Amino acid sequence: MYNSESEIISRVRYFVQENFLYMHTSFQLGDDDRLLEKGVMDSMSIVEMISFIESEFGVQALEDEISEENFGSLSGIARFVGGKKLLRAS
Amino acid sequence: MCGIAGIARRYPTGVSVESLGRMAAAIRHRGPDGYGFYVGQRVGLAHVRLSIVDILGGAQPLTNEDGQIVVTYNGEIYNYPELQRELEDRGHVFRTRCDTEVLVHAYEEWGVDLLKRLNGQFAFAIYDRIKEIVFIARDRFGVRPLFYAQPRGAFLFGSEIKALLASGEVDPALDPRGVDEVFTFWAARPPRTPFAGIASLEPGTYGIWKDGALWLNRYYELDYPEAAEEPRDVIEQLDELMLRSVGLRLRADVPVGAYLSGGLDSSITASLAASASPHTLRSFSITFDDPNFDESDFQREVAADIGSIHAATAIGANSIARSFPEVLWHTETPLLRTAAVPMYHLAKLTRESGIKVVLTGEGADELFLGYDLFKEVSVRRFCLRNSQSLGRQRLLDRLYPYLMAEGKGGELWRRFFLNAGQPSDPLFSHLPRFLLSARVKDFYSPEFKGRLAGIDVLGELRASLPVRFFGWSSLNQAAYLEMTTLLSPYLLASQGDRMSMAHGVEGRFPFLDHRLYEFASALPTGSRLRGLREKEILRRWAARILPTRIKERQKQPYRAPDAPSFFGPGSPDWIREQLSPEALRRVGIFSPAAVQGLVRRCNAGLATGYRENQAITGVLSTQLWHQQFLEQAVTTAPLSVKNASVILTEGVPALS
Repeated sequence: MYNSESEIISRVRYFVQENFLYMHTSFQLGDDDRLLEKGVMDSMSIVEMISFIESEFGVQALEDEISEENFGSLSGIARFVGGKKLLRAS
Repeated sequence: MCGIAGIARRYPTGVSVESLGRMAAAIRHRGPDGYGFYVGQRVGLAHVRLSIVDILGGAQPLTNEDGQIVVTYNGEIYNYPELQRELEDRGHVFRTRCDTEVLVHAYEEWGVDLLKRLNGQFAFAIYDRIKEIVFIARDRFGVRPLFYAQPRGAFLFGSEIKALLASGEVDPALDPRGVDEVFTFWAARPPRTPFAGIASLEPGTYGIWKDGALWLNRYYELDYPEAAEEPRDVIEQLDELMLRSVGLRLRADVPVGAYLSGGLDSSITASLAASASPHTLRSFSITFDDPNFDESDFQREVAADIGSIHAATAIGANSIARSFPEVLWHTETPLLRTAAVPMYHLAKLTRESGIKVVLTGEGADELFLGYDLFKEVSVRRFCLRNSQSLGRQRLLDRLYPYLMAEGKGGELWRRFFLNAGQPSDPLFSHLPRFLLSARVKDFYSPEFKGRLAGIDVLGELRASLPVRFFGWSSLNQAAYLEMTTLLSPYLLASQGDRMSMAHGVEGRFPFLDHRLYEFASALPTGSRLRGLREKEILRRWAARILPTRIKERQKQPYRAPDAPSFFGPGSPDWIREQLSPEALRRVGIFSPAAVQGLVRRCNAGLATGYRENQAITGVLSTQLWHQQFLEQAVTTAPLSVKNASVILTEGVPALS
């Protein structure tokens, strides 16, 4: 369903805007913006985000994989999801 | 426990008894058993009484023999028999056996230095007619409230802000900085309040008002002279202090009950009270229909163990939403949590059960480092010393098991704590909480943000810290911040005094005996928090009096449901009205568009995080607060002079 990284980024961005940024309608979130540093997510919304990614993209995140690198930005999430899908396909 | 109010004028132009009557009427809930006035040309005092000590003889205001010293007083001075004996030895003659009169004679004997001799919880005003001064004071830890304003050269004070507003001489106005402090610290930081021009007398402080000017002085300072080692007889010292503190707080001419949460602290106070009380102890608890918040198994176990007659009030799905407007009327401040509401119901149950004094466990977590925040400080510092160590970071997961879905946090979740400030920041301990609370500000309207331009409440807190703060250990710095930013202005106020006094119930706090505080603050921090074991010394000592299961129980934070309380079936109409774009625009603090997004998430059951739970509670409480205090005048019919227990004038020195 979501084949390219840009499609994944677009879907995650929509989720983030609807759920975490709805109070900042003029905020422009860049693909590489750090979600924690920018204050987009707090400790509880991390859990919400991961649950969304698992159900939306059908991938499982192991505890060790829930890192700044994989979930700290839209581009990181897209790379992580893409990598997981590739792994599953192979 | 009672309520006080007063007006002082720079020139002897008179104080109207009707104004005093309105002020007293606004706080009548604090003292349903009687009321009285002193009416003079320069100063007028009012008092509403909850009779606990010397039921027949303790009416107020009260004077010395020649009527030159007049007092109106709210609180308890637990060591009043000892002070009375000392004062009698010095020649003072007492007409009553109540603690109020001790204040009058102690003032005659020692002046403002009397404060250092008091062991208790109090707020009072003394009018010295010879010196033409009004002397106001508040207890060391801020158990009892006292607010004041100085409009147009006058000086008005009262136990609650509504007394000032009811006078007709203080105009209600919003202080943006005070509101912003609420949305950072959970309460405005004294002396600030959310009302412009209305101040809260800081704990451990007194003021002298003379010739139209107020001079403030601190008589008690928090300090942490941490020892390297425990005294050899540390358990014996703690035992003596605990027994003495509870014994003093059982002094009353009415039966004293106890609140019982099921945790360690209230189990200790209830257990000691059950042992020392001449009556079978009555204990009271809150239960929640939602098992995530409920502690009733532990409450019943403790009640059975100490042999108390136990009663509980159940908080159901709509209890919080239904009572929230009444609760806001009593808190007089916006709130970020709903936890005050169950306390309101608990006090109601207590009063309906015929009990008007209760012992509670507040203060133990601050003295003995019981909160998760203290462990969090230790773990964050430990992690930051070697920021690459995953093993160290995993300790953070152990701190909040009730928040952490297993395996759903990982490094990213921990990063939230590790990125929240450096140990060199004096607010290091509290930054995660302050920054998380401040997320509510994401919902501010652009106009309100504009009013806050240039205001930095965290910077102001940093600048206010005493020099000695920088010599304390990080845990003691955290304890100080907890005492000054949360305990007094929020826990003892919005969840404490204001909720219990709404129903004429007096809370007494054995852990907030200043000698116990001084004992605890001088202990090595390792005696209070050993590794991740909180309140270590208290648990060691409590083995003498509590069942092991209770003594070893992990702390469960007292919480109540927030967002879910306000949405779903049976939700009261006022919620929809207050969240309408028109209502939000009228108040102007929050952005209607942002709040509509929040409401959508709340209705969908998606508002599970702190930010949104605090935000919806903050928005609703601010709207109610604004409506109740800023949009509508506080109007009350004055209490009538005819029914007053006491009415004193300048020419009548004695009790009527």
